[in-house]
Amino acid sequence: MIIENIGLAAAQVFEFHNLGLMLIGVFFGIIAGAIPGFTVTMAVVLSLPFTFGMEPVSGLSTMLGIYVGGLSGGLISGMLMGIPGTPASVATTFDGFPAVRNGKAGYALGLGVWSSFFGGLFGALVLATLAPSIALIGLEFEPWAVFSLIIFALTITASLAGDNMVKGLIAGNFGLLFAALGAEEINAIDRLHFGIEELSAGFAYLPVLIGLFAFSQLLGDIEDPKVAKASLMEKTDIKVKIEHWNAVRTIARSWVNVLRSSFIGVFIGVLPAAGSSISNILAYDQAKKASDHPETFGTGEPQGIIAPEAANNATAGGALTTMMALGIPGSPLCAIMLGALLIHNVVPSPVFISEQPVLAYAIFTAFFVAHFMMIGMQTFALNAFLYITRVPMYTMAAVILVYCAIGTFALNNSPFDMWTLFWFGLLGYLMKKFGFPLAPVILGVVLGDLAELNLNRAWTISEDVSLFVTQPWSLFFLLLAAFSTLFPWYQKFRGKRTWTLAFMPLMLMCLSVPLFMMNTPIRMGIGIVMIGLGAWLLWRSHRTGWAVDAADTVEHKPTIEAA
Amino acid sequence: MGSLNKDTVIAVVLIAITSVFFWETFNIPELGYASMGSEVWPRVIMTPLLILCVVYLVQSFRKKAAADGKSVSLGTVISDYRNPIMCFVIFFVFLLTVEYLGMLIAGVLLTFILLTAIGNRTPKALALHVAISVASVGLVWSLFTFVLRVYLPEGELFSVY
Repeated sequence: MIIENIGLAAAQVFEFHNLGLMLIGVFFGIIAGAIPGFTVTMAVVLSLPFTFGMEPVSGLSTMLGIYVGGLSGGLISGMLMGIPGTPASVATTFDGFPAVRNGKAGYALGLGVWSSFFGGLFGALVLATLAPSIALIGLEFEPWAVFSLIIFALTITASLAGDNMVKGLIAGNFGLLFAALGAEEINAIDRLHFGIEELSAGFAYLPVLIGLFAFSQLLGDIEDPKVAKASLMEKTDIKVKIEHWNAVRTIARSWVNVLRSSFIGVFIGVLPAAGSSISNILAYDQAKKASDHPETFGTGEPQGIIAPEAANNATAGGALTTMMALGIPGSPLCAIMLGALLIHNVVPSPVFISEQPVLAYAIFTAFFVAHFMMIGMQTFALNAFLYITRVPMYTMAAVILVYCAIGTFALNNSPFDMWTLFWFGLLGYLMKKFGFPLAPVILGVVLGDLAELNLNRAWTISEDVSLFVTQPWSLFFLLLAAFSTLFPWYQKFRGKRTWTLAFMPLMLMCLSVPLFMMNTPIRMGIGIVMIGLGAWLLWRSHRTGWAVDAADTVEHKPTIEAA
Repeated sequence: MGSLNKDTVIAVVLIAITSVFFWETFNIPELGYASMGSEVWPRVIMTPLLILCVVYLVQSFRKKAAADGKSVSLGTVISDYRNPIMCFVIFFVFLLTVEYLGMLIAGVLLTFILLTAIGNRTPKALALHVAISVASVGLVWSLFTFVLRVYLPEGELFSVY
């Protein structure tokens, strides 16, 4: 059955027009990634007006092409200019830029491109093997668990706002509220429209997404008049030829670093809302710690290029795993891809893989194939990308703004959608200015209907609210939600306050409770291990007299600044 | 107003918006047959939202003590955010006029005005802006109209369909 599904999926992905679309996607992805200020997310959002009319496989393949291209495109500006094209390639600049200044541009770019490739393949492998297995667990989820899972996704996304946790939660709730406006499908009632006829249908997803991400981003990019008039990348008249052979040989010798970084990337990607902006720095940090010559990091060290690039592409595989297996986006970008699935009438949920196996395997295949396209595109068109990045920012912004308007109108032939784009663009811009994260809003908008549907199902089955804590999976996710809400304080005070020593042990012990409730030998075994680990951590803290040690904490910020 | 910090103002605005939405939930018809009425979910969202906004308000009062007390004039805001404000205004006018002018003409005008407002205004730059506006909007418009068969607003000046 699996082989048959893979065959059917591959047949669709390898159709000539589909490969052509993917190639275009990779091309634009690399450009978007290479341009500082543009994000991969924005590039994927901008592709939506084109992809929504396509077959699901074609639309999603194109978006995956952009995704993969964008992740690797960030290294171009990061290495050549020292300005990371995307947050996912911040750590690449630490050694990539010095390597280019040392006259090793071709070698450094080769390391970056091939590390991205191998990291991506690792991610694809994990995606194809792990997602179906996790999805089997997802089949156990009853409405209470799905609802709690969405709450967890929202809280962990909000917790990434760090000190702005409250703002993150407010943003997430507003996302849910926006999704609740207008037509309510279960009881067929129009609500919260204040008598405005256009609002009675609610907001379409895409204008909201394009407004929040693309429109607001463009306005931010042209805010400074000098920056707006300047070329996106100066001094791009350098002709570069990637040194493939040297790079691949170095990477082959550094397989431990590649594997470790890829694993870090996948692990971070699997966590809801944690993305490649974190994984690349974490992988760099670990590579430096594991190196025999950490002092060479920051001076053009090849390992410092390999680690972040392998990690950021592997993160995509991890993020897609969570999205496909549980219906929960692992990153804002995956939230947008979930929105794209909804447009194709594919409801993201834990049963997605079992209900839409061909589409699921097509996503696996397209993600895999996109990495080969990325290598080819980077090899043959690198100098063309550098040429494009000479365009001033304001030119790009003005053209894209009009394209946003046309594309948004085209979705439903509705002028109201363009107004939605405008208002959400304004909202997104103001939110960023006032320190509200955008990711929780997007997650709220995309998952709002699903949350309501499952709450309604749960309520219809039983009005007993205690089922939210007596159903094991639901309790598991609610506990995770509670701890993720407290996580920013834990991070802030770790190594400074005594209570932080009890945070992890307590979390492990609490999470073991629902595992015992599941009453299967393996899960109970995991529960015992978790309790043991928690007890050991407590005992260790007790032995040291509950002394907090600031030196024990891993601070990444100084590492970045130092580099 | 002078004694309020930015976060306090935002918190108050958010509380007001949430309260208005909460009030509106009482206008949702209650259905006898539904196990969970349509008004329940919005209230489930807005109850924690209101609490969070109040927490944010309290936090803003605490921050106030640490604030440096710098006041920002409207003139400074306009000067600092000149480009985004212009963008919003021009886009707003575009939305108002697009049904009359049509997507093609309004789009070309929007692009040209945006480019000229934000970019350079030398004769060479203006010529370049005209070329970029016509070429980019013309290309995207043609793609949607003739390839994707999307009927973009035609306007009253120019007939295509």
